[in-house]
Amino acid sequence: MKISLNWLNKYLTIDESPESLAERLTLAGLEVESIEKLAARFNGFLLGKVISTDKHPNADRLTVCRVDCGTEERQIVCGAPNVAAGQTVIVGLPGAVVPHDQHSPEGIPFVLREVKIRNVESFGMICSAFELGLGDDKGGIMILPDRYRAGTPLADYLRMNDTVFEIGVTPNRPDALSHIGVARDVAALYGKRLRNRPAAVRETGAPIGSYLKVRVDDPEGCPRYSARLIRNVRVGPSPEWLADALLHVGIRPVNNIVDVTNYILMDTGHPLHAFDYRMLKGSEIVVRRAVPGEKFITLDHRERTLGGGMVMICDGEKPVAIAGVMGGLDSEISDQTTDVVLEGAYFNPPFIRRTSKAFGLSTDASQRFERGADPGATLSALDAAASLIQSVAGGEIARGTIDVYTKKIKPKKVTARLQKINDILGTTFSDKQVFRVFVNLGFQPVPMTTSSRIGRSFRCTIPTYRPDILEEIDLIEEVARISGYDRVPQKEISAIRLHETVPPVDLRTEVSPLLIGRGFMEIVTNSMQDIAVSALGGREFVKIANPITKEMSSMRQSLIPGLLEVVRHNIFHGAGDLRLFEFGKVYGVAEGAGENAVRSNYREESRLITVVTGMADPVAWDRKQRKSDIFDLRGELETVFAKISLDNSKFIPYSSTDALTQTGMRVEIHGTYIGLLGSVHKKILAQYGIEQEVYVAELSMDAMSRSRRGREKFRPLAKFPVVVRDVAFIMDRQIEHQAVVEEIFRSGAAYLRSVDLFDVFQGEQIGEGKKSYAYKLEFSADDHTLTQEEIERQMNSIIRRCTETLHLSVRQ
Amino acid sequence: MVQHIESLRAEALSAIERAHTSDELEQIRITYLARKGSIGDLFDRLKTVPAPDRPVIGKLLNDLRTAVQTALDAKLAGLSAPAAPASAESDPTLPGRRGWVGSEHPITATMAEIGRIFAGMGFQVATGPEIEDDYHNFEALNFAPDHPARDMQDTFFITENVLLRTHTTPVQIRVMEQQKPPVRVIMPGRVYRNEAISARSYCLFHQVDGLYVDTGVTFSDLKSTLLAFARQFYGSSIRYRFRASYFPFTEPSAEMDITCFLCSGRGCRVCKQTGWLEILGCGMVHPNVFRAVKYDPERLSGYAFGMGIERIAMLRYGIDDIRILYENDIRFLRQFR
Repeated sequence: MKISLNWLNKYLTIDESPESLAERLTLAGLEVESIEKLAARFNGFLLGKVISTDKHPNADRLTVCRVDCGTEERQIVCGAPNVAAGQTVIVGLPGAVVPHDQHSPEGIPFVLREVKIRNVESFGMICSAFELGLGDDKGGIMILPDRYRAGTPLADYLRMNDTVFEIGVTPNRPDALSHIGVARDVAALYGKRLRNRPAAVRETGAPIGSYLKVRVDDPEGCPRYSARLIRNVRVGPSPEWLADALLHVGIRPVNNIVDVTNYILMDTGHPLHAFDYRMLKGSEIVVRRAVPGEKFITLDHRERTLGGGMVMICDGEKPVAIAGVMGGLDSEISDQTTDVVLEGAYFNPPFIRRTSKAFGLSTDASQRFERGADPGATLSALDAAASLIQSVAGGEIARGTIDVYTKKIKPKKVTARLQKINDILGTTFSDKQVFRVFVNLGFQPVPMTTSSRIGRSFRCTIPTYRPDILEEIDLIEEVARISGYDRVPQKEISAIRLHETVPPVDLRTEVSPLLIGRGFMEIVTNSMQDIAVSALGGREFVKIANPITKEMSSMRQSLIPGLLEVVRHNIFHGAGDLRLFEFGKVYGVAEGAGENAVRSNYREESRLITVVTGMADPVAWDRKQRKSDIFDLRGELETVFAKISLDNSKFIPYSSTDALTQTGMRVEIHGTYIGLLGSVHKKILAQYGIEQEVYVAELSMDAMSRSRRGREKFRPLAKFPVVVRDVAFIMDRQIEHQAVVEEIFRSGAAYLRSVDLFDVFQGEQIGEGKKSYAYKLEFSADDHTLTQEEIERQMNSIIRRCTETLHLSVRQ
Repeated sequence: MVQHIESLRAEALSAIERAHTSDELEQIRITYLARKGSIGDLFDRLKTVPAPDRPVIGKLLNDLRTAVQTALDAKLAGLSAPAAPASAESDPTLPGRRGWVGSEHPITATMAEIGRIFAGMGFQVATGPEIEDDYHNFEALNFAPDHPARDMQDTFFITENVLLRTHTTPVQIRVMEQQKPPVRVIMPGRVYRNEAISARSYCLFHQVDGLYVDTGVTFSDLKSTLLAFARQFYGSSIRYRFRASYFPFTEPSAEMDITCFLCSGRGCRVCKQTGWLEILGCGMVHPNVFRAVKYDPERLSGYAFGMGIERIAMLRYGIDDIRILYENDIRFLRQFR
């Protein structure tokens, strides 16, 4: 909302600087986003009188002028063909910024300087309308009427001495979408008196009822409908002051009738609509709900199909306006209009909002009606408008006003207790201070003493222009806002209630530093993705009903696609060795929930995804470079599992049936599935244009959290030595490590403590189709030192078990 | 015989010395050390040596075999790790064998730091669903069904009543529905806004909400707590202001500004020439919110606040395009080690 300082001055005298006023308004909730001093655009430009003109000695098309600039005379070289002695012209002085350079194709601004033009000095420039942004004329300089004095600042001539505030008005303050509304807050903030006299209306002729009937069939949508009629107006351009006022707040003047309704809108915040009386069939206005499917052409020349919930203003035959949103093309004020019906109504906010949303059509009127216009202001706004129309367009105001107002909306009474005000704010305001705030806001406070315990309270009558004040807390906010939030004291100590429970540490805060320490970079990706990608998961997924784009039309079921996008991006930018991780949610919906799904049909699961691709290690001067493989990632997971007390992890190979991975492994902790590890399917990689192997693991954070071992007691350290033995088995290639380890433990070797694979070998020496696995076995007993014989017995039973069940042999 | 042994030793050792490849060395091994090799032959001929001399000759032969084997092994070891040990010993400035270096994403890092500060002030952490219902996201937070305040938050819908939450504030409702007062929690999480993607806004972002409800909580407590936070997070010398604002779920509502740390308050592009940076929204919990969770607004009061993490991270690190946070280019991520 643009607010003009000159306009505010109509309501109160403002001595404060625009900057200090802006600061105060901002702190009070009317955020001033920018301050524009309109005259500043024309700094350095003034009116001058051309005293004499001489031909330039060295150029045919140039003229050397002497110009009276008020306090001094200047020599100015001018290239315009129309310059002549005696003219009143606009002079730009050196240092001024000319808004448009008419010699540059883009018309960019430039700074004036003292220059020598073909050896003749020039101390300024005589300007064209184009150069100043005042018109399109480039053909010559602007020539002004003679009655203006030399030296008059251009801004004065243009009546541009105004400061305009751009205020970001919050949705709870429809009243502040007007000059009077802002003036009321200024008055309350500074304790100033508001000058606001009702308009005097000179009525003549027959009563309005003899020209116009109004019937409201929808009192819910339209609680109040008021109208005035002005006959025999002359539609034409507005006088300068009116056009200027509108221009300053960013509204283009149209004609005197429309300009007056806009002026009243900006002034009082009350949207009015003007109809051409002769276009109203049957001299009648009917307010009713639209017939669904009905067609209507709005004054922006668009045909709109109406919905059943919309409130329409109609004449005896057809709709003439969408109530509170936009008028119709047929009944708009034209040059031929002589009789004007002025509508001043109060429409029910939700109706206007729904209509405005349905059409995607937000207008000055709809913005105010949907936030809540002032139901009490229809008559005063109509009076002001009618009287103003008469003064700028002539005509006669018909006697009386039509006012259909079946259920009167009365000002609310709201009481605020002094004690409660100070309890909520943490202040020590006195009853005088609070009383003054309410008086200054026009709330007519009545002090009351209810009981000695509660103390003083104030019963306020809330003006109908403040629909945001509904209960005590709203009054408390007004006290804080008008007094200033800086009046609320700060404390050094704030009480803390000691909680009984300390929540468990989030697993994420433990895993993240581990992975970072192992060289993984954390990423954060979009949780919305293409439906085509979500469909790969094979399960029902969450679709967004109103997506921005197809690429973000569903919720991810896996973190893998988002991660692949990141891998693709980095490979594309030359970084192919990647170790990345992300904590993120995946989303699901119960099968068959359909369009009637409720929130409980949706599932969210926190997951961890990790990826390795490219080289296993950075280059080093004596390290052999090799590519990462699935065992690098598996090893990282096993390291993390060990650190966060996830015991007994199993990686169970399976022939992947899902679309994303091949050579996958199910990851289980104590038999509970927690996720998968695998290499991403070649087909999928190809879709992302990735040509290298990518290994991912996607694990459920919830499942991991549940599988953690609790804290355990300390175990005494072994008192007796550990004996280490190595053994290498030769076996068929299809036998798996996991099976060997299980058999070793099944051998019944009671003193066996651990088994670690330390070498894998295949080669001619051990025969076709065979391989050798070498294991390090550790033995110890809690109660004695193991003897050579005991160890031999244990080793023998292990070897016997393995040779019998797996048919392997010991490599000598 | 002794002479023969000595010449064989010289011959073998010089052959080993001349060898350059492991193949050559293998050839030398076969020539001299294999069972049918030159040294093996000499062992075979040992029985022809007179018995008294045999122990001495035998020892010489054993020494020869050991010497050749040792020289061969040493040469082989030298060939398979060429130059390495030598260089490492002679050049202590060689770099170490480094591993990859990981990093924390700036969004997570910023959230974690905010979390640590509030944890120090006695706040616990609560979370809630991103797929929310209209009731928790709007209605219980005092957004009337057709109020323009809903326009402040453009919403992604899944069904008519189910949506992607537009703020973390619905977690306040969920916490109060489940817990008796006092409540002192922060609520970090991901939120969604149906807005065109640009350098300034993305379709999703992260927030941290805070809520404190108890008897006797005042606006003064709110100001003091948030000032303490801002001093820890932005530095103890910041200047600040609280200005009136509007959120349906708080009243009085405020926005907290601090002096723009990019221009020290002189006015720049980032602070839109105002000299101030808006860092968070806050206010006293609206009585209607208490009524929605069956808390008694006469007995209890509380404050709530919320801040956008991306905005804070961007200001902190001088990032001017929000989209780079979601691109995950490692040249960007590497800067947050």
